[in-house]
Amino acid sequence: MEIPFVVNARKDTGLFNSKVAIWLFLASEVTLFGGLFSGYLFLRLYADYPWPERTLPVLPGLINTAILIASSMTVVFAWAALKMRNWRSFQINMAITLLCAAAFMVLKSIEYKAKFAHQAVRLESADHPVLDFAILEGHLHKAEIGEDGKLHHAQKDDKGNYSDEAFYANKIIFEADEFVFPLSRHAYGGFVDTIIEQAQSQVVPVTGALKSFFDSVEKNKSKLGKKELKQFEAAQKKGSILSSNLKNLLEEIKESKISEVSDELMALSEYPITLAEDFKLYEIDEDGKRKELEKKNIPAGESLSKSVIAYAEKYFLKAKSEDAQLRTHYLKSAFAKRREAGDDRDGWQIAQSPEFLELQAENAKQIKKRSYSAPGTITFKAEKPLTLHLDPGYVITKDAKQLTLRDDTTIKGTMGDSSMFLAVDGIDFRFTAQRAEEKGIAPEAAITKSWVLKQPELKKIWDSHQEWLRAHTEMLDAKSDKKGLKGEDRYVPTDNEKYRVNWDQIVAYQNYDHKGIYDRAKATINNEASEKCLEKPGWIAGFAGPNHKKMSFPEVTIPRENIGFESTFTPKWNTYYAIYFTITGLHGLHVIGGMIVLGYYLFFGRKMYESNPEWLANRVEVGGLFWHFVDLVWIFLFPILYLM
Amino acid sequence: MADSPEEIKKAVKKFQIVGAALFVGTVITVLVATVPALDFGGHGLDGVDITIGLIIATIKASLVMLIFMHLNHEKPLIYLFYGMAIVMAFFCMALIGWSKSDPIQYGNEKSADGFYNADKPATSVH
Repeated sequence: MEIPFVVNARKDTGLFNSKVAIWLFLASEVTLFGGLFSGYLFLRLYADYPWPERTLPVLPGLINTAILIASSMTVVFAWAALKMRNWRSFQINMAITLLCAAAFMVLKSIEYKAKFAHQAVRLESADHPVLDFAILEGHLHKAEIGEDGKLHHAQKDDKGNYSDEAFYANKIIFEADEFVFPLSRHAYGGFVDTIIEQAQSQVVPVTGALKSFFDSVEKNKSKLGKKELKQFEAAQKKGSILSSNLKNLLEEIKESKISEVSDELMALSEYPITLAEDFKLYEIDEDGKRKELEKKNIPAGESLSKSVIAYAEKYFLKAKSEDAQLRTHYLKSAFAKRREAGDDRDGWQIAQSPEFLELQAENAKQIKKRSYSAPGTITFKAEKPLTLHLDPGYVITKDAKQLTLRDDTTIKGTMGDSSMFLAVDGIDFRFTAQRAEEKGIAPEAAITKSWVLKQPELKKIWDSHQEWLRAHTEMLDAKSDKKGLKGEDRYVPTDNEKYRVNWDQIVAYQNYDHKGIYDRAKATINNEASEKCLEKPGWIAGFAGPNHKKMSFPEVTIPRENIGFESTFTPKWNTYYAIYFTITGLHGLHVIGGMIVLGYYLFFGRKMYESNPEWLANRVEVGGLFWHFVDLVWIFLFPILYLM
Repeated sequence: MADSPEEIKKAVKKFQIVGAALFVGTVITVLVATVPALDFGGHGLDGVDITIGLIIATIKASLVMLIFMHLNHEKPLIYLFYGMAIVMAFFCMALIGWSKSDPIQYGNEKSADGFYNADKPATSVH
């Protein structure tokens, strides 16, 4: 089919058809992004926490703005080149446009990656229950559970890799004995897999019988496969091995006939989780006696799997639904009986009448006799205590003996050391200050009580910051005096300056004795540059945020009871990041979409250029209009997200 | 719409000037936001800085729309589409004004400024 008016304009609109179409589409895009910007405005105006102002590193955003402006120019140059029938120039300009788009996405992904790796913690403390709300930012360290049951920093091996046993130290560690899974709503379900997976990656110490067995294998170890040999050597060196690796290794030793492997040794590699008691479904017979539905039972000792739980769940839900049907049946029949008896009152009057309630009581006995009975949970036990490390987001409630997961699974056992190891690159008391003011407490008094200031290294940084703030305040005062400002017009430090210590300040403060900072800052006050006195790392050093590989940051161990909420800088952390990822993510998808369309013109446009160059020029114009729109959105996004 | 090669050449020159203006606008936005000496209004980010930032962004956006997207000489139909879209976008933003009259969040007693009283919510919300 030939599409009309793709080259020449229609008389009534004065436009070629694709242009009408793209403008209709762009109009819908304006309302889409308009809605999202409204969302941003709403979240910012009504935020009940200190909004992260000017929080993103400016340089990547600035470069990306320049890139998009440049690509907007080259796309119109490409169109102009086609109009002037210059294919070469079109190719060059369009290729630059596509390179710009690719560079934009690369920078965007660097920014996103930095956010995903950056951890934030909101603190709470027992002696300060309403007000800690201090926020620490930083990078998590990897940890291992030591022989004393405490967390230790995981060390890298000679090649710079962490061992398989290391994990990021923000997990809830729990010695589990028993698991109670709910059958009625298996909303998440994934936790069964998580538990099974973790049962296969338990840390087994290489001691006693296992140690002597390993020593006996030592001289024949060259017969092992490459992977197994590596596991064997790592285990010998480290004195421990993951259960799944041990199992694999023992099987290999057996298969390659290096040595016999006893069942006792094999058992060391297994952490079975089995059904605690028979899972029985009952039927209540005519006489009201419980009768087991034997065929449908699951015997005790059955291993934990998703399918066992799904089976139990299926029959539990079936039983529930049949019980519900029974109740409906008896309710209907009781009602029918009343109607047969000539009761012609309204339904609700019948339902409340003593005669009907009597029938109901009689029916309840029948229901009880005939209904199924199935337990709403299924319990598994760990035959050897199992060390779980769970993502804190999975866990709803926790105490010393029991955890409740997000899908209502209950785990019984003993809480382990669930501290967090954090290299701190941001201290933020703005939330503490806000909460204190809401409660009529002086912010400084609330901050002094925070858990943060009980940590000597962080206290030192905070003291340095106070010294700098003192000099900075004096500088602002001097500036106000110079300009003759009075009352509310006088310059005062912002909340950001007062209550937040940013990563670049932390880097700088570590270089000086904190007592010297005031004098240092004071010396530069006259040139109004108290910010500059500290020799902070610049935009390039902190391109996408603090670089933990090149800079050192103070480390703290945060006990689990002091952690109120924790997350990486993702939509979970706060509404700022939620809207940031929503709008920039959608904008990024537009960039990719534009790349595909413009790339199609560049790589597959030659034929059309030769047969109908004006048509291709119109296509490029339409694609270009979309591309300008993408630029237009970013022109607003950049100042709003990066500079305000 | 410029169609003859001469006109196109003229247009290209215009595109270059506009592009340069956009770069300059971007640099000004960043300087105003980051250099202490160019911090207008009170100290730190305030209404004045936000207004300046948004004005520059609006000027840049207008340049892109008028010149790159040739809205400076377009057919009436397109002004209609675009105009309606902008009205809709601003309508979305205006909706926020009504959020204060949410009786669940803010109770149904009006305070002196005509808004519902946020201090006395009808029900507690989280």
